Amino acid sequence: MMSSLLLWSANISASEAAAPAPASSATLALISALGQPAPAHTAFAEARFMQVLDRPLVISGELAWLGDDKLQRRVEQPKAETFTIADGEVTQERAGKKPRHFSLSRAPQLQVLLDSFVALLSGDPTHLQQVFKISHDGDPAAHWTLSLVPRDTKVARTIAAITINGYATVSRCMQMHEADGDLAVDLLGPLAARMPAQPTRESLLALCGEAP
Amino acid sequence: MSLRGGGRTTLLVLWLLALAGLGWVVSQRLKISTDLRSFMPAPTTPDQRLLMEQVGEGPGSRLLLLAISGGSDEELAALSQGLVATLKNDPRYSQVINGSFDPGALDPALLPYRYLLSPTLDTQPLDEAYLADQLQQRLDELSSPAASLLKGLLPRDPTLEVLKLAQMWAPAKSPQVRDGVWFSAQDEALLLVQTVAAGFDPGAQQQAIDGIEKAFHALPGSAGAKLELSGPGYFSVVVGAQTRHQADWIGRISTVGFIALLLLAYRSIGSLLLSALPIASAALAGIVALTLAFPDVHGITLAFGFTLLGVAQEYPIRVLSHRRAGEDALHSVRALWPLLLTAIASACIAYLAFYASGVNGLKQLAVFTIVGLLAAGFSTRYLLPHLLPRRVRDVADMRWLVRARAFVDRLPRPRWLPLLVAAAIVAMLALAPGPFWQNNLAALTPLPQSMLQHDARLRQALGAPDVRYLLVLQAPTAQGVLELSQQLQPRVDALVARHAVDTLELPSRYLPAVALQRERQQKLPDQATLQHDLTEALDGLPFRADLFQPFLDDVRTARTLPPLTPERYAQTPLGQRLAAMLVPRDGHWLGLGTVSGVHDVAALQALGEGSHGSVRLLDLKAASESLVVDYRTRILQALLAAAVLLVLTISFALRSVRRAWHVLAPMTLATFLVLAVERMAGIEISLFHLVALILAGGLGLHYALFFERDTGDPAEQRRTLHATIVCVLSALLVFGMLAWATIPVLRAIGLTVSLGVAFHFCLSILMAPHASES
Repeated sequence: MMSSLLLWSANISASEAAAPAPASSATLALISALGQPAPAHTAFAEARFMQVLDRPLVISGELAWLGDDKLQRRVEQPKAETFTIADGEVTQERAGKKPRHFSLSRAPQLQVLLDSFVALLSGDPTHLQQVFKISHDGDPAAHWTLSLVPRDTKVARTIAAITINGYATVSRCMQMHEADGDLAVDLLGPLAARMPAQPTRESLLALCGEAP
Repeated sequence: MSLRGGGRTTLLVLWLLALAGLGWVVSQRLKISTDLRSFMPAPTTPDQRLLMEQVGEGPGSRLLLLAISGGSDEELAALSQGLVATLKNDPRYSQVINGSFDPGALDPALLPYRYLLSPTLDTQPLDEAYLADQLQQRLDELSSPAASLLKGLLPRDPTLEVLKLAQMWAPAKSPQVRDGVWFSAQDEALLLVQTVAAGFDPGAQQQAIDGIEKAFHALPGSAGAKLELSGPGYFSVVVGAQTRHQADWIGRISTVGFIALLLLAYRSIGSLLLSALPIASAALAGIVALTLAFPDVHGITLAFGFTLLGVAQEYPIRVLSHRRAGEDALHSVRALWPLLLTAIASACIAYLAFYASGVNGLKQLAVFTIVGLLAAGFSTRYLLPHLLPRRVRDVADMRWLVRARAFVDRLPRPRWLPLLVAAAIVAMLALAPGPFWQNNLAALTPLPQSMLQHDARLRQALGAPDVRYLLVLQAPTAQGVLELSQQLQPRVDALVARHAVDTLELPSRYLPAVALQRERQQKLPDQATLQHDLTEALDGLPFRADLFQPFLDDVRTARTLPPLTPERYAQTPLGQRLAAMLVPRDGHWLGLGTVSGVHDVAALQALGEGSHGSVRLLDLKAASESLVVDYRTRILQALLAAAVLLVLTISFALRSVRRAWHVLAPMTLATFLVLAVERMAGIEISLFHLVALILAGGLGLHYALFFERDTGDPAEQRRTLHATIVCVLSALLVFGMLAWATIPVLRAIGLTVSLGVAFHFCLSILMAPHASES
């Protein structure tokens, strides 16, 4: 009697937790398929298109998921800089400077990066759905696009959406659309080596859409 | 000759109407002040005067520390933000902060002033090399994922002066920021609220605290969370409430006991009710006199005043006990009157000494008690007897009283008794442990240890200033203080660096002197130079060419701004913070540096060396103790004057030095005996003990006067004994109850009066002239 009651209430809460994110089972399967064991490393090259700049900023380095909520973003070009996120705190290390620590809540971009990246690398759709509204487009076996919109309105005031392009079980590109119109495009894995010297939005989107 | 039934009713109605009239006046005019400062003596030294100001208005004493717990970080942060939003526009609070980064800390209209406020230009010209370096840094920062805040600031402020100022103004030791607000290590959201009301004005603080609690409970989601407060203002409210609660509770019990005792003694409800009329007249007349003589009446005056009016209870009791069977009440009173008048006059003269003390609160006390005693005395003499029932039982015939009187008469009255008691008093006072006087007012109203620990923890987490120390800077003008503060800053930084003190915040931190602002202003490049340098610096960088026009505009504006003065600054939140640290007084200006975490007092005091008094460390605790010492000296002087007047009055009234000796000797000995016994018990004597001793002395004077009275009539002597026993028992009942209170103030008064009443009674019996002598 008691145990069946417990089971029943467990079912209720499970269904409640799933309720706010009616993502399709195909989307969930796609995300689960992206999972890798920690630690997972991937090269990245990022181009930032900003209103304050005439031409985009290009940086490159390595993203590493160290397990749990630990993420490292190591920049090698043009200047060495490492961001480490662990336990809600960010540590910024630059050559020749003392490490800086600040709360993750002060850097919504990093929060979004952590949430999306960790969930993707761990292949955990449940966590992803708690933080984002997810939709997907394309063929899970070939080209696909995942669209993530932050649920937290405060975060959404800075980061409007994230788009991830991939082919089969590999993510190729990650676009971070900022609310003010600025855009950051990250080329991931082998694609990172193909960042053009003078990137444009169009050339990068074309790269993301290519077959591997 | 007594009034007939109809006349009696008329008199009663008139008396009640008069009381109602007085009550109406009181309800219309009485304004009770709760500011403790009006009960303190006028400060004499500069430190004491500063203390009196700081006790109420200092930045430290008006600070309330708030902690919200019982929820997730996000819920608590939302409550913290909600509370700030509600309180920010409330005129009761001058500052409400919770750690959230507020870019509006510097008024937008004042933004160009950042170049005059920030120390950058002191060491660094705004030239091409500096701009190039800064812009390269901004570019590096833009490539980081934490750039969103920067993007908004960049066009107007590429050197990030606003952030430098925000960093400079942030509390030196601020708590951790989570979800945008301060959190303690115990996961409570923390806030600091500065009240407009003085810190030690419990009435005004109560309103400020009520406002905070009301705002908190009105917030959505506050039901499960807990708001805790701390700080001097909160403590004064808690202590006041605790004391009142216990005094009320004890008061109710002893009132019931008192009524029962009087019913038992006189077996007449009518007499009991009527004898309350002189006391009611005394209290109302006293308050009306106060409202006429003073703009507001202090709460403590009323509390002490009602205590001291306890003497007046004796007047109707004496009349009731001295009634003879079949005798008109008027006759009994007439026989008693000379003695009663002597007692009233002596008490009034003694209290008159308080008026001469010069302390506002004591003056009020004197007016209240003297008017009250006169009202009680004269209404007992001229009104009460007309109303008392004609038929009464003569207490003189009661069998137990006859036996008691016989027992008292048989007691030995050795002539050496006063000498023995005096010797014992001297010995006890000499041998008593610990210091004689209690100078720490706080010791009498102690706070629960848990509350103090909570306060210390919050204070440390928030880096809130100590309430005890202040670094005082003095100069002829406000600008002079700011310049002095600037000169002092490097030495203060050195002290903080070697951990003599955790933080020391000087006024120049919020506003540099006009001279320094001018200096910085002159270092700003003109428009053409800046435009040229900026263009050169931007060469090779990807920034948009026209991006920095707002920066150029601000620098141009800053070059011609009139320097920021405290007056102009005062309209902004930071200006209010400065205003609390920069105060004009007596034609010169004082800067108040707030201190927290003092580890080396001597090093702080050394800051003032060689400054000829323009820089000094003020120890508010030491100043308050010296104030208490001054206060006590005034009371003791007043008492000495009262004692001399009392000797003269009694000698004159009794027209015999020998008889005066019989009255005054037991009273004096009993008073010192109470002191000696309390000292032997390890009690340190405070102001409250002194006030209680005076009340006991007043009661003792009655006992001695009546016992000394030589009537030669055994029945009358029995009535005297009856009256005195009723008086003693009622005083013991009321004050003995207070002696059991847990709050030291109440206990001090209760214990002292109870001991006093007991000693006065015993000594005035034992030292009265023996019945057989007369």
